[in-house]
Amino acid sequence: MSRAASAQDLRPNRLACILGLCRSFIREFFDQNPLSQLGIAIMRNGLVEKLTDLSGSPEAQVAKLDAGKLGSPAGDASLQNALDLSVSLLRSLPPYGHRELLVVFSALATCDPGNVLDSAKACKANNIRVSVVGVAAEVYVCRRITEETGGTYGVALNETHLEQLLLAHSSPPPATSAQAKAELVRMGFPQRSTEEASSAVFVGLEARLLSGNYTCPRCKARVPELPCECHICGLTLISSPHLARSYHHLFPVPPYHEDSKERAEEAAGVLIRQPAMRDEVPTSTGSYCFGCLREVSQPGAAGQLHLTLRCGRCKQVFCFECDAYVHEQLHNCPGCEFGGT
Amino acid sequence: MRFNLEGLTVYFPYEYIYPEQYRYMLELKRALDARGHCLLEMPTGTGKTITLLSLITSYQLAHKEVGKLIYCTRTVPEMEKVLAELAELIEYRAKYLGRGPGSNEILALGLSSRKNLCIHPRVAEEGSRESVDAGCRRLTASWVRERAAERVSRGTTEGGEEGGSSGGAVGEIELCDYFEGHERAGVEALLPPGVYTLSDLRDFGRKHGWCPYFLARHMMAFANVVVYNYQYMIDPKVSQMVSRELEKECVVVFDEAHNIDNVCIEALSVNLRKQTLEAAGRNLGKLSNSIRRAREADAARLQAEYNRLVAGLIAQGALRGGEDWLANPALPADVVQETVPGNIRRAEHFMGFLHRFLAFLRDKMASPVVTSQSPQVFLHELQERVQVDAKTLKFCYDRLSSLLKTLEITNTDEFTPIQLVADFATLVGTYAKGFAIIMEPYDERLPQVPDPVLQLSCLDASLAMKPVFSKFQSVVITSGTLSPIDLYPRILNFNPVAIQSFQMTLTRDCLCPVVVTRGADQMPMSTKFEMRGDPGVMRNYGRLLVDLSAVVPDGIVAFFVSYRYMDQIIAKWHDMGILQEIMQHKLIFIETQDVVETTLALDNFRRACDSGRGAVFLSVARGKVAEGIDFDRHYGRAVVMFGVPYQYTLSRILRARLEYLRETFQIKEADYLAFDAVRQAAQCVGRVIRSKADYGMMIFADKRYQRHDKRDKLPQWITRHLKEAHMNLSTDMMVHVAREFLRAMAQPYDRGAVGKSLLSEAALAALDAAGGLDGAGAAGA
Repeated sequence: MSRAASAQDLRPNRLACILGLCRSFIREFFDQNPLSQLGIAIMRNGLVEKLTDLSGSPEAQVAKLDAGKLGSPAGDASLQNALDLSVSLLRSLPPYGHRELLVVFSALATCDPGNVLDSAKACKANNIRVSVVGVAAEVYVCRRITEETGGTYGVALNETHLEQLLLAHSSPPPATSAQAKAELVRMGFPQRSTEEASSAVFVGLEARLLSGNYTCPRCKARVPELPCECHICGLTLISSPHLARSYHHLFPVPPYHEDSKERAEEAAGVLIRQPAMRDEVPTSTGSYCFGCLREVSQPGAAGQLHLTLRCGRCKQVFCFECDAYVHEQLHNCPGCEFGGT
Repeated sequence: MRFNLEGLTVYFPYEYIYPEQYRYMLELKRALDARGHCLLEMPTGTGKTITLLSLITSYQLAHKEVGKLIYCTRTVPEMEKVLAELAELIEYRAKYLGRGPGSNEILALGLSSRKNLCIHPRVAEEGSRESVDAGCRRLTASWVRERAAERVSRGTTEGGEEGGSSGGAVGEIELCDYFEGHERAGVEALLPPGVYTLSDLRDFGRKHGWCPYFLARHMMAFANVVVYNYQYMIDPKVSQMVSRELEKECVVVFDEAHNIDNVCIEALSVNLRKQTLEAAGRNLGKLSNSIRRAREADAARLQAEYNRLVAGLIAQGALRGGEDWLANPALPADVVQETVPGNIRRAEHFMGFLHRFLAFLRDKMASPVVTSQSPQVFLHELQERVQVDAKTLKFCYDRLSSLLKTLEITNTDEFTPIQLVADFATLVGTYAKGFAIIMEPYDERLPQVPDPVLQLSCLDASLAMKPVFSKFQSVVITSGTLSPIDLYPRILNFNPVAIQSFQMTLTRDCLCPVVVTRGADQMPMSTKFEMRGDPGVMRNYGRLLVDLSAVVPDGIVAFFVSYRYMDQIIAKWHDMGILQEIMQHKLIFIETQDVVETTLALDNFRRACDSGRGAVFLSVARGKVAEGIDFDRHYGRAVVMFGVPYQYTLSRILRARLEYLRETFQIKEADYLAFDAVRQAAQCVGRVIRSKADYGMMIFADKRYQRHDKRDKLPQWITRHLKEAHMNLSTDMMVHVAREFLRAMAQPYDRGAVGKSLLSEAALAALDAAGGLDGAGAAGA
């Protein structure tokens, strides 16, 4: 939000454009990383102002990012102050998480109280990964900081490119060995109560009257949405798909391979040896998709394209639609989840 | 990699080679084969130095008859850089050729003045080059050493009789331990093969107790590669002592040689100021005194000198100790091999002669009007007024050096003024053509302050280059900017066997030259004399810089045509508030004529760029910064050339030189002026690109760049990137272009674009089989 943010080379101007894209970035970010937290700060007048604290709720953050409420851009940007703030905020976080700082930088200079590279060192010491998305041109100090802290640096050519660059940051980077320290975290997987109007109860901290809600497994408090921390006992409450979505970057579903005759025969052998899991779950024989139970073509049939895929681990057959759904949205293989290995 | 270049095995220390480097080698090799001189232009940042070194050392290896490689650089840092690259090359070659004796190991060394090489604890501390030289002579002159040796021998004999009382007397004559160490080692003092930078030489000297300077001078005879300053080759005074013994087969390389004509001219020009003449008068007084003293104490010595002069034994070797200072300022071929004329053989007579000559010069300097004379007119006047003829003048320098040596004077730095006068006299006496004597009673810019300067100005750059071209078999003149390349053979008066300008192959368009002719208000911008004072033009220039500093990250360099114009425009900008506007975006640093101040400014400029604050450096074309400082990477993302940097055309020296060029070489005045201006401009803007990974804007802000006579004098590697759409822009259009360019350049870029701009060993072998990269092109040309 320095003076440079009022330039009009992005329509309508840089600030409006960036704010809009930041809002979609925040939504996308929480969609990809439901367990993560995010806070917003702005650089203006040589200072850095903390807009929101670190939290896990997208809507509260998005609401803050409104051009009208923010005021107008002015003064210089100070990277050093921004880095210092992020260090002080992120330092207290547990070591198993990624600590990241994403700077959307429209200025071409940073006006600092001291040497910005010292702050960059502090970031590095605290394992904070700094990435910068510039909108004007390559600034040496940004390049330097991102290289030092292992982040990425991109400069946007236009609005669409800026969006691409921003959204590329919504999925987390591969875990580094420094952060691989495992630690057990206590979490709760609450049950959702029915959505019937008759079962409406007072829910959450604000005690709103809601019908659908989640009950904390430890203290039985009711919370309105997941993921969150229980307002009574502080337990982290999530659901399994959240976990999967968060961790799919770490444990991706192995890609399915195109089914062939040989693979089908091999798979048939494996599947026969398996005990039938439960009566209601059919093992796919190769003619039905395990995901949607629709009929698919026989593999290896003469004159036909091989339109089926097979999971390398559970040996079940899937159609293309289910493959896309599993890998891009679900991030869990239904065959493997049923213990088909 | 190792590859075959038309039958020559070339060792190149990198895995890939640029196509232009290959072409450069090819051209260079053909020139060496033809035993002729060549003129090669290749943009900076394409690895010119390593290409040169790699080809020539490989050539030396294959053709034993080729002598040393003499590599001339302009500055000491450049010298160090060359040696560092050479070291890398040698390291690489050792992999193929092995080490140890008999494996064609190379001895390469850098040679510089005593100031840079001295390791004597006290002398090395001296400030200027002259005082280090003098300090060294005080300790190492042959008579000093003789006297010390006498003392020592007397001390030991007397010491036996009187018992240690003379111990202190021996200590009074101080000698340099390192020099003595080197002398004692004599011919045994050898450097093992390897590459020696100046600091390596100093370390080696310290370790062995040998003087690095004399060691380097001694080792020059054995070295395969010698790297030194231009002066050592071009300036007759220096090259006489240093480069005389180089064999004819040597390959001489002048790197960064775009200003070689100016170096040549400076080498043969002498400026005398009033202070110089006064000091020379004082020197004469001192000399007379010491002559008188010598006459009383040791008349035989003066007599011996007289006899020697009569016998015509002026040659260096005949003089005691063969000290290597006070060489003749005229070129070797022009030095008359005759006996010194009778009227100055006696020391007293010579003093009288100098007194008269000095009086004449003083008289000339008192004149209130600007005069410009040819040497003949000057000599005629001299003859009429004080009865000094040209022949006597010719010998002035030799006579003076003989006298100084006879009088055993060691503090030569004090006698610089009289040496300058003698320089002047000898040059005037020797050359009738190609010089002008110009007397300016005051500086043009400050007419009210009398500051008379008497200048003996050389007008012909080919004079100083001639001995180099005729002596050495192959002379290579190369630089990043030698355009228009056909002018150089004319002003240096030689016939190259190869003239070639190479282009840079780039994987992306990392140069963006633009010509800005109008301000945002569509008024033309120019530094033409009639327009430069116009506030509108100044404001437009200011707006240009403000707008630019808002869109360009990190460092910007701006060049003005002169210090005077820069001062003027900065004052105006301050009044208009433009400086404050720039300061909102970037810090401002300004080059001044003070070297220390400028160095400090540069240092802080770099810090500002490093820390992301961004900065603008305001500098002057033809200044120190424009010539020697690189603004690579983020230090220079854009460079602005405000105006066309013409020389000060009213200067008498330039007028005289233009006239001479027109008469002798048929070069039109306007052509030469434009050539000189544009090469300076190209030099300035070339500061921002130092490698292919680098990128930068080049902004020519003057409407005159739009004209063809300017534009076609720019080097090809710039004009090739000058798109039609980027010419005749106004400031706002330029800003738009800059924005787009910088965005495009900030995108990640694939460094390993092998194939298009890099050739591997295999690709080269294929090329060689197919008859060379540009076999067809060369045949066509």
